Amino acid sequence: MNIAWFTPFSTKSAIGRCSAGIVEELSKLAQVDVFCFDSEETHSSNAPIRKFTSPSAVTEEILSQYDIVIYNFGNYLPFHRDIIEVSRRHPGIAILHDFVMHHLFAGYYLEHLKSEPLYIQAMERLYGRPGKRAALDSLSNAGPRVWETDAVVNYPMFELVTSTACGVITHSGFLKKHVEDSFAGPVRKISLPYTIDRQSQVMSRQELGLGEKDLLIVTVGHANRNKRITSVIEAIGQLDRSQNSIRYVIAGACAGDYRRDLKSMIAQNGLEGVVRIVGEVSDQELRSYLSHADICVNLRWPAIEGASASAIEEMLFGKPLIVGNVGFYAELPENSVVRIDPQSLEQLRDALGRLASNPEERARLGVAAREYAEREFRSDSYARQVIAFLREVQGARPLLDLTDKLARQLDQMGISRDMQIVDDLAGELDTLFGGGESIT
Amino acid sequence: MRIAVLNNCVPFLRGGAEHLADALTAKLQEYGHEAVLIRVPFRWDPPEKIIEHMLACRLLRLPNVERAIAIKFPAAYVPHPNKVLWLVHQFRQAYDFWGTEFQGLPDSVRGRQIRAAVIRADNHFFAEAKAIYTNSKVTGDRLRRFNGIDSEVLLPPLYDPVEVEQQECGDFILCLGRVNAAKRQHLVVKAMKHCKTEVKLIVAGRPESEADAVEIRNTIRKDNLAQSITFIDRFVSEKEKADLLRRCLAVAYIPYDEDSYGYVTLEGCLSKKAVITCIDSGGIDALVRHRETGFIVPPEPKVLADAMDSLYSDKPGAAAMGEAGFELARSLNINWDHVIETLTK
Amino acid sequence: MKIVIATTFTPFVKSGSTYIVNGLDQSLKQRGYDVETFHFPFSDRPDEVLQQATALRLIDLSQFGDRLIAIRTPSHLLKHPNKVVWLLHSDRDAHGGSDALEDEARRQALLSADNIGLRESSRVFCNSVAAKIRMRRHSLDAEVLYPPLLRYDQFHCDGYGDYLLYFSRLTRRKRQWLAIESLRYTKTPVSLVIAGASDPDGEPYVAELRNLIHHYQLNHRVTLLPGWVPDDRKLELFAGCLAGLCFPLDDDSYGYSSLEAHASHKAILTTTDAGGVRELIVDGLNGLVRAPDPPAIAEAMDFLYTNRPATQQMGAAGPPRMKELGMNWDHVVERLLS
Repeated sequence: MNIAWFTPFSTKSAIGRCSAGIVEELSKLAQVDVFCFDSEETHSSNAPIRKFTSPSAVTEEILSQYDIVIYNFGNYLPFHRDIIEVSRRHPGIAILHDFVMHHLFAGYYLEHLKSEPLYIQAMERLYGRPGKRAALDSLSNAGPRVWETDAVVNYPMFELVTSTACGVITHSGFLKKHVEDSFAGPVRKISLPYTIDRQSQVMSRQELGLGEKDLLIVTVGHANRNKRITSVIEAIGQLDRSQNSIRYVIAGACAGDYRRDLKSMIAQNGLEGVVRIVGEVSDQELRSYLSHADICVNLRWPAIEGASASAIEEMLFGKPLIVGNVGFYAELPENSVVRIDPQSLEQLRDALGRLASNPEERARLGVAAREYAEREFRSDSYARQVIAFLREVQGARPLLDLTDKLARQLDQMGISRDMQIVDDLAGELDTLFGGGESIT
Repeated sequence: MRIAVLNNCVPFLRGGAEHLADALTAKLQEYGHEAVLIRVPFRWDPPEKIIEHMLACRLLRLPNVERAIAIKFPAAYVPHPNKVLWLVHQFRQAYDFWGTEFQGLPDSVRGRQIRAAVIRADNHFFAEAKAIYTNSKVTGDRLRRFNGIDSEVLLPPLYDPVEVEQQECGDFILCLGRVNAAKRQHLVVKAMKHCKTEVKLIVAGRPESEADAVEIRNTIRKDNLAQSITFIDRFVSEKEKADLLRRCLAVAYIPYDEDSYGYVTLEGCLSKKAVITCIDSGGIDALVRHRETGFIVPPEPKVLADAMDSLYSDKPGAAAMGEAGFELARSLNINWDHVIETLTK
Repeated sequence: MKIVIATTFTPFVKSGSTYIVNGLDQSLKQRGYDVETFHFPFSDRPDEVLQQATALRLIDLSQFGDRLIAIRTPSHLLKHPNKVVWLLHSDRDAHGGSDALEDEARRQALLSADNIGLRESSRVFCNSVAAKIRMRRHSLDAEVLYPPLLRYDQFHCDGYGDYLLYFSRLTRRKRQWLAIESLRYTKTPVSLVIAGASDPDGEPYVAELRNLIHHYQLNHRVTLLPGWVPDDRKLELFAGCLAGLCFPLDDDSYGYSSLEAHASHKAILTTTDAGGVRELIVDGLNGLVRAPDPPAIAEAMDFLYTNRPATQQMGAAGPPRMKELGMNWDHVVERLLS
């Protein structure tokens, strides 16, 4: 089998890092070519890497040489814009790394195409009048822009990449369900593979400015509002800190106004010196914090990612995690992480308190987490599942094609999706062709 | 060429379009083509069935066929790269019948959506045809008015040529064809009592229902016109028909609002007979010129009687009108050479 | 009673089922029924099969006629409350597309639809015992109903000549080559006439037959008539032959030409692995059944040549045997309308 694997491949991209590992395993099972548009430094790979400067350079002729094309999608426009453009004209399998892709599409329509009408139209087509309303409000300065608020989860916009797909891969059951609401073809959840660098040197606690006896709590990754860091700060503020010296490090890029909010929360709780916002740090420094961490806090509310690379990383490091009981995190095994209601300050405080005073509990969780992660998030198993999924997709093609044909004809008749006849037809086709028992 | 003729079919019902489809298929073969008639069942009740049958037609395929000739909605939707339409009917319920008692579709959201779908589909899928012809100016006008689609009129010829031997100018007016309310033979029968001359009437054709037959028989009895009116209430053979045409004074064909001129009219003209028709008969006027080749009068018994009387009183005049009608039909090039050549070019 | 018949066809391609449908249409009309027959065009292209099956599903005949007789898949997908299906052996090997997985998926989808169409029918008929057995495995009760010979009355007997007639489509599966191979071993001067149309891409097989004849120097004993044989010529050939040959490899069908031979009062020589022909031919009654082995077949050929009375007797047993199996329109009509 000949596979064209579209991905961001820059060393700065988390998806790129993931792809590198997957492609290495996938190449053992099929002929894989990596397609990327990055101008900067890319990962190396045992598979051939085909670099293009623009989507139009990837011609139909080139793509027709492949049995299947796979596109990796994430919510970051610079890394995925070109991939989206190719996927529009050549249907393939979509791998959704993020649930919410609104930021990407808002950027695509408003910054790249500079077309407000297209953005509004897309929102209306996908989400009806509320969508149109939200789009209009975001563009006028009547209120906050929808992609800067929690409401963005109601307008994820991933449908814009799944509608042309012949199959979809997600990394959480949560996202799989969402996709199935609007996508009729095959969908599969495959656990995202992850590896961590255990080889390279880590910085010492001292080099990081931490005491050997400090209880280090860590939250890593892009500091977004939905990570509920303000709640963590508040919860720490309520802990009895007489027993140990607690340090909370927030490592990752942090936007100006959010940083201000965090600083204000720190001040309110008198936690200067306890809580440290270190911002974006080098890979090595990040690894070092994780390596020395005693507790990792990884909350999301609302959940906008498809799966959490940071959580997986933390588990691979063998750390106890406190996570919100939503989305991807809800699927982690009971005994390997501590799950709380991400909106409950009380539960957060209790969990932190419990773990802070219980080293055996922390050790147990850490071991369980690492065992689970090492078993679950593997590139080789990912690659095998991708191949199995490809077979499923090919099998689904005849019926998907048929549905497409019918949809196209109904469309030309101006029959809208909400007419009863569409549902009746869908049901009829399902019954008619869904059985598969041999008779004659 | 290998040609498929496409028509609808409501099982066990045959009308003008069915005869045309049969005739066309047979003539194509006569002219040396391989031709097959493909009929697609059609149901319009409940209205959702309309959409389903439209869709079914879109999904059918015509393998091994070099040209498709479609004559009705929705059989005209079957895709083919080399398709021409010779449209006998659109789905009038969505067009000129909408807003009348013949609407057929419910005036609900659902009904309006279906109506819109038919119009949109006609617009879209008719455009796939290489050429569009209609069987009458009336059909063509409707197509232009409702769908903005241009077409050319291609008049349907008779299947069997009419033998124009020695024509007699007889004493009777002749009504031919299926007997039913829409064809209004009963009106001609009712007119007879107002006749002042000795003109007679022969109505020859199978009644569509017993009620149709009974109405005519009752009128004959009530008006005491058994001597003047002969009702042959059965299907008449080609031979019988030819004989009646040869001997009649003139032909009366007064259906209500028909699209096409009607075979009966054409048979009359080609038999060199004057034709009486009505102002609301529809496309008949393609073949009848008032006072030149016959009469086009209001559908009122007294007026019809006058027309019949004037023909009886002036047999030379009637014969002359017959000749004029014959010339008119000829000038309109209504023949299979023309039709086959047009549909296969 | 109003009856609707539905079948599928490829326009302008003659096929056995089209003739049977026409025969049925005629037979019903002759017996006074109102009949409406639909021949739906059907393309074999793999990427068009599912959509056409869908089209037939959408066409609603349920208000029309008292009974629907569906012949040839997938016409049995048409909806009707009183539907019977007559499955004539159709080529179930769908032509391969470019991808095995897609083909398999398509096949499964069609089988699913088949299942539904058949189970909706009040009766299912098939044209061979082999097919009936297959269906029983899927808990479907099918009745064997053999398609009758068309224009039975036109066949006649003009005596028993010296040639054996193999009248069938010229394809490898029909094994006309086996007849030639067998002729080599005969000891009598019995000769062979092989006639029939070939497929559009069947020229190589015809060439193969010619080569065989030439190779074995049998030109004076084998007449090869490839191509469409006009009806009157066909009737003549059957009328004058010694007996007929029919031994395709494991074909479900009883072999239409076997009926044509029987209608001409001629016996049939067949083999043990021919399939459906075995349902018609009883060794020693209305023909001979031998192992598919050239010497064995040759021996039977010689037997037919040498023992004319027996050959004639077996030929005469043809028509009663056909009657016994219900191979006539009276029986067919009665069953289809039951």
